[in-house]
Amino acid sequence: MPSIEIEGVYKIFGEEPERAFDLISEGYGKDEVREETGLVIGVQDISFDIQNNELFVIMGLSGSGKSTLLRCVNRLVDPTRGKIVLHADGNDYDITSADKESLREIREKQVSMVFQNFALFPHRTVVNNVAFGLEIQGVDKKERTRKAKELIEVVGLEGFGDSYPSQLSGGMQQRVGLARGLATGADILLMDEPFSALDPLIKVQMQDELLDLMEEMERTILFVTHDLDEALKLGDRITIMEAGQMVQKGSPEEIIVNPKTEYVADFVENADPSDVLRAETVATKDLHLTDNNRIRMNEVTEIEVDSNNKAVQGYISGTPVPIKSLVDYENLTEDAILSSSPDTPLSTIMRARLSFSSNPIVVLKNNEVIGYVTEQNILQGLLEKGRQD
Amino acid sequence: MSYFRDSFKKMVVVLLGAFGWVSIYPFMASARVGASLIELPAKPVSIPLAEWTVAVVDWLAINIEPFFDFIQLVLNVINDALLAAIQWIPIFVVKIAGLDIRFPVWSLILFFLLWYLSGELSTGLLGLITVWLSANFGLYIEMTETFALTLTAAFIAIALGIPSGILAGISETVNHMIRPVLDLMQTMPVFVYLIPAVIFFGMGAAPGAVATVIFAYPPSVRLTNLGIREVPTELVEAGQAFGCNYWQLLTKVQIPVARPSIMQGVNQSIMLALSMAVVAALIGAGGLGGEVVRGIQRMRVGQGFVAGLSVVFTAMILDRATANIGAREE
Ligand SMILES: Nc1ncnc2c1ncn2[C@@H]1O[C@H](COP(=O)(O)OP(=O)(O)OP(=O)(O)O)[C@@H](O)[C@H]1O
Ligand SMILES: [Mg+2]
Repeated sequence: MPSIEIEGVYKIFGEEPERAFDLISEGYGKDEVREETGLVIGVQDISFDIQNNELFVIMGLSGSGKSTLLRCVNRLVDPTRGKIVLHADGNDYDITSADKESLREIREKQVSMVFQNFALFPHRTVVNNVAFGLEIQGVDKKERTRKAKELIEVVGLEGFGDSYPSQLSGGMQQRVGLARGLATGADILLMDEPFSALDPLIKVQMQDELLDLMEEMERTILFVTHDLDEALKLGDRITIMEAGQMVQKGSPEEIIVNPKTEYVADFVENADPSDVLRAETVATKDLHLTDNNRIRMNEVTEIEVDSNNKAVQGYISGTPVPIKSLVDYENLTEDAILSSSPDTPLSTIMRARLSFSSNPIVVLKNNEVIGYVTEQNILQGLLEKGRQD
Repeated sequence: MSYFRDSFKKMVVVLLGAFGWVSIYPFMASARVGASLIELPAKPVSIPLAEWTVAVVDWLAINIEPFFDFIQLVLNVINDALLAAIQWIPIFVVKIAGLDIRFPVWSLILFFLLWYLSGELSTGLLGLITVWLSANFGLYIEMTETFALTLTAAFIAIALGIPSGILAGISETVNHMIRPVLDLMQTMPVFVYLIPAVIFFGMGAAPGAVATVIFAYPPSVRLTNLGIREVPTELVEAGQAFGCNYWQLLTKVQIPVARPSIMQGVNQSIMLALSMAVVAALIGAGGLGGEVVRGIQRMRVGQGFVAGLSVVFTAMILDRATANIGAREE
């Protein structure tokens, strides 16, 4: 079920924005429109749906319109054209046509935000910052303090409730920002480059924590970043923006494996694909059965399958060995052939091969053999980013 | 401590200002007398602005008199109540070595009040010493008069100034309307305030208070306005993003964030109020300023000096009491 539906959204900055549309329909781009009319295209004709519980990343260079698009969702920026509908608490909220009071109510309850430079209130303690949204909702003091303390614990800041933001480090401040965003209980969370101002190490830590939080809480997150590695790591899906337009949308792997334009290809050029490429993508899927119902993965390793192509038994140099999931290779003592799921990232496979055995790994989907990954598959995947051409 | 140096500089300015005005006053007065004795040829005047001004002022004096009476009443009530309250507090006299040493209870009250307000024991002690000294200099009454006049005027200036500043901070229209008024108020020489004040309110504490209110009003407005405008956009947006309405945005975000700047305005208003309250002695407002005037008119340097010193001490305690209020809750 979609949580946010964005349909044909435009934002044109400047006086009489309607003037831009004639030029846009004639195919003029952002720079030409600005030269002709002085109007700036923030975003142009954006449509997509974001699913419930999805972490959707908007990615692009500076000035490409990421923040503008994000802010259209809670109307800190008023879209010039188009429609945005939010689905939360089982209701539909057409935010683009909402009047002042309903807009305020939607912001109060359905959608909250985490800011790039934290935007914490300097005169409020950590607890009172986190409780801010609840205070606006009219929750009584005792209850909102209790809830705020709970969230402060969730983001790992216990003991700092009575500190002021100026007494905290950047990473801690953004934890407060995150807790404040989560505290209102809104289903939809907007995050505009929340980790850009942090040190690389803290940044990675915060990303991991956000992923952990996503496991525990049911939230839909719209996340803006200009950092591709961050996008690939966090995003269930990613959209790439260029000059106000959406140039590609897809899973991290789709973006890496199949960049649609030069712009996107340039972007992913230096990305590390090992966390994004999945076993299924790089695996050899062209399988041939030998006479005794075995699949030969290399000179010494074979997998025996039954009539439904389900894995039955592994063989190394003709000796039967069990097939074990590579998830717990660390606990294996005997010889075995490792198996992975189709979605296992390449990096995990590489790690298992490095410390357990360099034999090929069989890719199983509900115990059915769909392919295998050899050293050659891995190298090819990394070099060509999984592209087949 | 640079803070101490700063506030000391302020005191010196206040004192010099007060002395400056008070010392040229007799000359101004005698120059006027001299001028009327010597027959000067009439200067040709083509635009009789002076006469028009008189006409306007006369008209105002007659037609808006009830309004001025009302202001005068309010000022007098607050001022007199404050003064009565302070002066009601007893003074104990103890004979030590043949001298009557006075111990005003108010100095103790002020000690605790200042200690609490500034959070520093030293400020409390300063207040204690100031009042004790003034009582034993024989300036207790004058000191309390200046105190009451300053606080009355500053209170009204701030009570009007902060709301005006908030309005100017959130509305461009108000900002454009109020700015020239403030510029005018701040560029006008100090004694020019006294003329209309005397015309409308006569001599005494009330015109002094009116002039003081007008003089002390602009900094509160300006710094409140500035504080509100300098609230980072991101904080305002954070407020909006969490569903604040107009009023909540103002009271929960803009005003609290602007608070340090607003408190700076309060501090400046009080300091300006004190300096004007001293100058207002020229139109009979009394207090320490009156002592300074008398000291100079009668060539009693010592008397003027002691009164001036009391002004400096008063300025110091007012400054230190209010300078820290903004910083304290950060
Ligand atoms: N308030 C505004 N008035 C005029 N133009 C604006 C305004 N806000 C944004 N723009 C323009 O809209 C375009 C998109 O800006 P936006 O802030 O959305 O970019 P961004 O992708 O978030 O960039 P960054 O990574 O630097 O934050 C830019 O060309 C910018 O100049
Ligand atoms: Mg941005």
